[in-house]
Amino acid sequence: MKPAVVDAASTLLAEMKDAASSLTYAALLTDDGFDVARLPGQTDGARFAGMASSMQALGDAVTHELKIGTSEYIIIASGRGHVVQLRVPGKELVLSALFDNDATVGHALATARSFAQKMADLLK
Amino acid sequence: MAEHVILFAGPMGAGKTTAIESLSEIEVVRTEANNSERHIVDKATTTVALDYGEILIGAQEKVRLYGIPGQQRFDFMWTILKKRAKGMVLLVNSDAPDPIGEMTFFLEEFRELYDRGGVVVGITRSDVMPGPALAEFSDALERTNPGLLIPVFTVDPREADQMQNVLLALIANIEMRAAFGMLATTGAS
Repeated sequence: MKPAVVDAASTLLAEMKDAASSLTYAALLTDDGFDVARLPGQTDGARFAGMASSMQALGDAVTHELKIGTSEYIIIASGRGHVVQLRVPGKELVLSALFDNDATVGHALATARSFAQKMADLLK
Repeated sequence: MAEHVILFAGPMGAGKTTAIESLSEIEVVRTEANNSERHIVDKATTTVALDYGEILIGAQEKVRLYGIPGQQRFDFMWTILKKRAKGMVLLVNSDAPDPIGEMTFFLEEFRELYDRGGVVVGITRSDVMPGPALAEFSDALERTNPGLLIPVFTVDPREADQMQNVLLALIANIEMRAAFGMLATTGAS
Protein backbone atom coordinates (compact mmCIF):
# COMPACT_ATOMS: atom_id res chain seq x y z
CA MET A 1 0.00 0.00 0.00
CA LYS A 2 1.34 3.43 -0.93
CA PRO A 3 2.38 5.54 2.10
CA ALA A 4 0.22 8.42 0.79
CA VAL A 5 -2.87 6.21 0.99
CA VAL A 6 -1.99 5.04 4.50
CA ASP A 7 -1.46 8.67 5.59
CA ALA A 8 -4.75 9.78 4.02
CA ALA A 9 -6.57 6.86 5.67
CA SER A 10 -5.09 7.62 9.11
CA THR A 11 -5.98 11.31 8.82
CA LEU A 12 -9.49 10.50 7.71
CA LEU A 13 -10.14 8.11 10.61
CA ALA A 14 -8.89 10.70 13.10
CA GLU A 15 -11.25 13.31 11.58
CA MET A 16 -14.09 10.80 11.74
CA LYS A 17 -13.46 10.23 15.44
CA ASP A 18 -13.51 14.01 16.05
CA ALA A 19 -16.77 14.32 14.14
CA ALA A 20 -18.60 11.45 15.85
CA SER A 21 -18.10 10.89 19.58
CA SER A 22 -20.12 7.66 19.34
CA LEU A 23 -17.45 6.15 17.07
CA THR A 24 -15.53 3.58 19.11
CA TYR A 25 -13.50 1.82 16.41
CA ALA A 26 -12.92 2.20 12.70
CA ALA A 27 -10.68 0.64 10.10
CA LEU A 28 -9.89 1.08 6.45
CA LEU A 29 -8.88 -2.14 4.72
CA THR A 30 -8.30 -3.53 1.25
CA ASP A 31 -10.87 -5.68 -0.54
CA ASP A 32 -8.61 -8.66 0.03
CA GLY A 33 -8.38 -8.15 3.77
CA PHE A 34 -5.28 -6.09 4.53
CA ASP A 35 -5.36 -3.46 7.22
CA VAL A 36 -4.57 0.02 5.79
CA ALA A 37 -5.26 2.16 8.87
CA ARG A 38 -7.28 1.89 12.04
CA LEU A 39 -8.18 3.81 15.16
CA PRO A 40 -6.55 2.52 18.33
CA GLY A 41 -8.63 -0.20 19.92
CA GLN A 42 -8.52 -3.52 21.69
CA THR A 43 -9.26 -5.37 18.47
CA ASP A 44 -6.59 -7.26 16.54
CA GLY A 45 -6.58 -4.99 13.49
CA ALA A 46 -5.12 -7.55 11.09
CA ARG A 47 -7.68 -10.14 12.04
CA PHE A 48 -10.55 -7.65 11.90
CA ALA A 49 -9.46 -6.54 8.40
CA GLY A 50 -9.71 -10.15 7.20
CA MET A 51 -13.15 -10.57 8.75
CA ALA A 52 -14.47 -7.28 7.36
CA SER A 53 -13.28 -8.14 3.83
CA SER A 54 -14.96 -11.58 4.04
CA MET A 55 -18.18 -9.92 5.17
CA GLN A 56 -17.98 -7.42 2.31
CA ALA A 57 -17.50 -10.21 -0.23
CA LEU A 58 -20.34 -12.27 1.26
CA GLY A 59 -22.60 -9.21 1.04
CA ASP A 60 -21.71 -8.90 -2.64
CA ALA A 61 -22.33 -12.64 -3.16
CA VAL A 62 -25.79 -12.37 -1.55
CA THR A 63 -26.86 -9.37 -3.63
CA HIS A 64 -25.62 -11.20 -6.73
CA GLU A 65 -27.54 -14.34 -5.78
CA LEU A 66 -30.75 -12.38 -5.15
CA LYS A 67 -30.19 -10.25 -8.27
CA ILE A 68 -30.57 -6.95 -6.42
CA GLY A 69 -27.57 -5.13 -7.82
CA THR A 70 -24.56 -4.46 -5.62
CA SER A 71 -24.25 -4.23 -1.87
CA GLU A 72 -24.24 -0.59 -0.72
CA TYR A 73 -23.60 -1.14 2.95
CA ILE A 74 -23.68 -3.77 5.66
CA ILE A 75 -24.95 -3.25 9.20
CA ILE A 76 -24.47 -5.54 12.16
CA ALA A 77 -26.58 -4.44 15.10
CA SER A 78 -25.92 -5.66 18.62
CA GLY A 79 -27.01 -4.68 22.10
CA ARG A 80 -23.79 -2.74 22.65
CA GLY A 81 -23.30 -1.00 19.34
CA HIS A 82 -23.51 -1.32 15.61
CA VAL A 83 -21.02 -1.95 12.88
CA VAL A 84 -21.54 -0.04 9.65
CA GLN A 85 -19.44 -1.03 6.68
CA LEU A 86 -19.25 0.13 3.10
CA ARG A 87 -16.86 0.34 0.18
CA VAL A 88 -15.02 3.58 -0.54
CA PRO A 89 -16.70 4.63 -3.81
CA GLY A 90 -14.64 3.64 -6.84
CA LYS A 91 -11.80 2.15 -4.77
CA GLU A 92 -10.78 -1.31 -3.63
CA LEU A 93 -11.05 -0.13 -0.04
CA VAL A 94 -13.62 -0.78 2.67
CA LEU A 95 -14.49 1.42 5.63
CA SER A 96 -15.76 -0.47 8.66
CA ALA A 97 -16.87 1.49 11.72
CA LEU A 98 -18.20 0.56 15.13
CA PHE A 99 -20.53 3.04 16.85
CA ASP A 100 -21.90 2.77 20.36
CA ASN A 101 -25.62 2.95 20.95
CA ASP A 102 -25.53 6.71 21.57
CA ALA A 103 -25.70 6.99 17.78
CA THR A 104 -28.79 5.85 15.92
CA VAL A 105 -28.19 3.46 13.05
CA GLY A 106 -29.22 6.24 10.66
CA HIS A 107 -26.72 8.69 12.12
CA ALA A 108 -23.96 6.05 12.06
CA LEU A 109 -24.71 5.21 8.45
CA ALA A 110 -24.75 8.88 7.42
CA THR A 111 -21.38 9.44 9.12
CA ALA A 112 -19.80 6.36 7.55
CA ARG A 113 -21.11 7.27 4.09
CA SER A 114 -19.84 10.80 4.36
CA PHE A 115 -16.32 9.69 5.37
CA ALA A 116 -16.18 6.94 2.74
CA GLN A 117 -16.88 9.63 0.15
CA LYS A 118 -14.22 11.90 1.70
CA MET A 119 -11.71 9.07 1.41
CA ALA A 120 -12.61 8.62 -2.26
CA ASP A 121 -12.16 12.38 -2.80
CA LEU A 122 -8.78 12.33 -1.05
CA LEU A 123 -7.55 9.58 -3.36
CA LYS A 124 -8.62 11.27 -6.59
CA MET B 1 -31.14 -37.89 -0.33
CA ALA B 2 -27.74 -38.51 1.21
CA GLU B 3 -25.56 -35.43 1.45
CA HIS B 4 -21.86 -34.91 1.82
CA VAL B 5 -20.18 -31.65 2.74
CA ILE B 6 -16.65 -31.54 1.42
CA LEU B 7 -14.09 -28.83 2.06
CA PHE B 8 -11.43 -27.81 -0.45
CA ALA B 9 -8.41 -26.60 1.49
CA GLY B 10 -4.82 -25.70 0.72
CA PRO B 11 -2.63 -22.65 0.17
CA MET B 12 -3.41 -19.63 -1.99
CA GLY B 13 -2.89 -20.54 -5.64
CA ALA B 14 -3.39 -24.30 -5.22
CA GLY B 15 -6.49 -24.29 -7.46
CA LYS B 16 -9.35 -24.63 -4.96
CA THR B 17 -11.72 -22.21 -6.70
CA THR B 18 -10.86 -23.71 -10.10
CA ALA B 19 -11.52 -27.23 -8.80
CA ILE B 20 -14.95 -26.25 -7.48
CA GLU B 21 -15.73 -24.47 -10.76
CA SER B 22 -14.81 -27.66 -12.63
CA LEU B 23 -16.99 -29.86 -10.45
CA SER B 24 -20.06 -27.78 -9.67
CA GLU B 25 -23.32 -28.28 -11.49
CA ILE B 26 -24.67 -24.98 -10.18
CA GLU B 27 -23.28 -21.48 -10.63
CA VAL B 28 -20.49 -21.27 -8.08
CA VAL B 29 -20.90 -18.74 -5.28
CA ARG B 30 -17.61 -16.89 -5.30
CA THR B 31 -16.16 -14.22 -3.04
CA GLU B 32 -13.21 -12.88 -4.97
CA ALA B 33 -11.26 -9.71 -4.32
CA ASN B 34 -8.37 -8.27 -6.28
CA ASN B 35 -5.16 -9.83 -5.03
CA SER B 36 -2.70 -7.34 -3.56
CA GLU B 37 -0.09 -10.05 -2.93
CA ARG B 38 0.90 -10.63 -6.53
CA HIS B 39 4.53 -10.70 -5.49
CA ILE B 40 3.71 -13.90 -3.56
CA VAL B 41 1.21 -15.60 -5.87
CA ASP B 42 0.77 -14.03 -9.29
CA LYS B 43 -2.96 -14.23 -9.88
CA ALA B 44 -5.46 -11.44 -10.37
CA THR B 45 -8.02 -12.32 -7.70
CA THR B 46 -8.23 -14.34 -4.52
CA THR B 47 -11.02 -15.89 -2.45
CA VAL B 48 -11.70 -13.89 0.73
CA ALA B 49 -14.61 -15.76 2.32
CA LEU B 50 -15.63 -18.98 0.60
CA ASP B 51 -16.54 -20.72 -2.64
CA TYR B 52 -19.65 -22.85 -2.82
CA GLY B 53 -20.77 -25.36 -5.42
CA GLU B 54 -22.86 -28.52 -5.66
CA ILE B 55 -22.65 -31.78 -7.59
CA LEU B 56 -24.82 -34.88 -7.66
CA ILE B 57 -23.00 -38.19 -7.43
CA GLY B 58 -25.26 -40.86 -8.93
CA ALA B 59 -28.90 -39.89 -8.57
CA GLN B 60 -29.03 -39.78 -4.83
CA GLU B 61 -25.99 -38.18 -3.29
CA LYS B 62 -25.66 -34.43 -3.29
CA VAL B 63 -22.18 -33.19 -2.53
CA ARG B 64 -21.82 -29.64 -1.25
CA LEU B 65 -18.42 -28.23 -2.09
CA TYR B 66 -16.95 -25.46 0.04
CA GLY B 67 -13.63 -23.78 -0.70
CA ILE B 68 -11.66 -21.93 1.95
CA PRO B 69 -9.50 -18.83 1.48
CA GLY B 70 -5.92 -20.12 1.52
CA GLN B 71 -4.26 -17.31 3.47
CA GLN B 72 -3.89 -17.68 7.20
CA ARG B 73 -5.34 -14.22 7.87
CA PHE B 74 -8.70 -15.78 6.96
CA ASP B 75 -8.40 -18.61 9.46
CA PHE B 76 -11.64 -17.50 11.15
CA MET B 77 -13.35 -18.75 7.95
CA TRP B 78 -11.50 -22.06 8.35
CA THR B 79 -13.04 -22.43 11.80
CA ILE B 80 -16.53 -21.68 10.46
CA LEU B 81 -16.27 -23.95 7.44
CA LYS B 82 -14.56 -26.92 9.02
CA LYS B 83 -17.44 -27.34 11.48
CA ARG B 84 -19.84 -28.27 8.71
CA ALA B 85 -17.62 -30.53 6.60
CA LYS B 86 -17.20 -34.29 6.70
CA GLY B 87 -14.24 -34.63 4.39
CA MET B 88 -11.49 -32.66 2.70
CA VAL B 89 -9.79 -32.41 -0.65
CA LEU B 90 -6.42 -30.92 0.25
CA LEU B 91 -4.88 -29.28 -2.81
CA VAL B 92 -1.21 -28.29 -2.76
CA ASN B 93 0.54 -26.59 -5.65
CA SER B 94 3.80 -28.25 -6.56
CA ASP B 95 5.42 -24.90 -7.33
CA ALA B 96 4.87 -23.52 -3.80
CA PRO B 97 8.12 -22.76 -1.94
CA ASP B 98 7.54 -25.70 0.44
CA PRO B 99 4.70 -27.89 -0.86
CA ILE B 100 5.29 -30.72 1.61
CA GLY B 101 5.31 -28.25 4.50
CA GLU B 102 2.04 -26.75 3.18
CA MET B 103 0.46 -30.21 3.03
CA THR B 104 1.39 -31.12 6.58
CA PHE B 105 0.36 -27.65 7.84
CA PHE B 106 -3.14 -27.84 6.34
CA LEU B 107 -3.57 -31.45 7.39
CA GLU B 108 -2.79 -30.49 10.96
CA GLU B 109 -5.16 -27.49 10.80
CA PHE B 110 -8.01 -29.61 9.42
CA ARG B 111 -7.15 -32.90 11.09
CA GLU B 112 -10.67 -33.22 12.57
CA LEU B 113 -12.01 -33.74 9.03
CA TYR B 114 -9.91 -36.88 8.73
CA ASP B 115 -11.19 -38.12 12.06
CA ARG B 116 -14.81 -37.38 11.09
CA GLY B 117 -14.69 -38.44 7.45
CA GLY B 118 -11.65 -38.57 5.25
CA VAL B 119 -8.99 -36.68 3.34
CA VAL B 120 -7.43 -36.96 -0.09
CA VAL B 121 -4.46 -34.91 -1.24
CA GLY B 122 -4.25 -33.50 -4.77
CA ILE B 123 -0.92 -32.16 -6.01
CA THR B 124 -1.50 -29.44 -8.60
CA ARG B 125 0.69 -27.53 -11.05
CA SER B 126 3.25 -30.33 -11.24
CA ASP B 127 3.19 -29.73 -15.00
CA VAL B 128 4.33 -26.12 -14.37
CA MET B 129 7.18 -26.96 -12.08
CA PRO B 130 8.22 -30.48 -11.14
CA GLY B 131 8.28 -30.28 -7.35
CA PRO B 132 8.72 -33.21 -5.00
CA ALA B 133 7.72 -36.63 -6.39
CA LEU B 134 4.39 -38.12 -5.33
CA ALA B 135 6.23 -40.65 -3.17
CA GLU B 136 7.83 -37.81 -1.21
CA PHE B 137 4.38 -36.46 -0.29
CA SER B 138 3.25 -39.96 0.77
CA ASP B 139 6.44 -40.51 2.76
CA ALA B 140 6.00 -37.16 4.51
CA LEU B 141 2.41 -38.10 5.39
CA GLU B 142 3.53 -41.43 6.81
CA ARG B 143 6.31 -39.76 8.76
CA THR B 144 4.15 -36.97 10.24
CA ASN B 145 0.85 -38.86 10.52
CA PRO B 146 1.69 -42.56 10.68
CA GLY B 147 -1.13 -44.94 9.87
CA LEU B 148 -3.51 -42.45 8.24
CA LEU B 149 -5.25 -43.65 5.07
CA ILE B 150 -4.80 -40.63 2.80
CA PRO B 151 -4.57 -41.17 -0.96
CA VAL B 152 -2.32 -38.76 -2.85
CA PHE B 153 -2.93 -37.86 -6.50
CA THR B 154 -1.53 -35.48 -9.03
CA VAL B 155 -4.43 -33.55 -10.47
CA ASP B 156 -5.26 -30.69 -12.80
CA PRO B 157 -8.06 -28.67 -11.15
CA ARG B 158 -9.19 -27.40 -14.57
CA GLU B 159 -10.09 -30.95 -15.64
CA ALA B 160 -13.54 -32.00 -14.45
CA ASP B 161 -12.85 -35.72 -15.04
CA GLN B 162 -9.75 -35.64 -12.89
CA MET B 163 -11.49 -33.72 -10.12
CA GLN B 164 -14.41 -36.14 -10.19
CA ASN B 165 -12.00 -39.04 -9.72
CA VAL B 166 -10.48 -37.29 -6.71
CA LEU B 167 -13.91 -36.56 -5.26
CA LEU B 168 -15.13 -40.13 -5.79
CA ALA B 169 -11.96 -41.47 -4.19
CA LEU B 170 -12.64 -39.27 -1.17
CA ILE B 171 -16.27 -40.35 -0.87
CA ALA B 172 -15.30 -44.02 -1.24
CA ASN B 173 -12.65 -43.47 1.44
CA ILE B 174 -15.19 -41.85 3.80
CA GLU B 175 -17.78 -44.56 3.23
CA MET B 176 -15.25 -47.36 3.61
CA ARG B 177 -13.94 -45.97 6.88
CA ALA B 178 -17.51 -45.39 8.11
CA ALA B 179 -18.45 -48.97 7.21
CA PHE B 180 -15.51 -50.30 9.20
CA GLY B 181 -16.31 -48.08 12.18
CA MET B 182 -13.09 -46.09 11.78
CA LEU B 183 -14.60 -42.60 12.15
CA ALA B 184 -14.53 -40.51 15.29
CA THR B 185 -18.26 -39.87 14.99
CA THR B 186 -20.78 -41.97 13.12
CA GLY B 187 -22.84 -40.86 10.15
CA ALA B 188 -20.49 -39.43 7.58
CA SER B 189 -23.75 -38.24 6.01
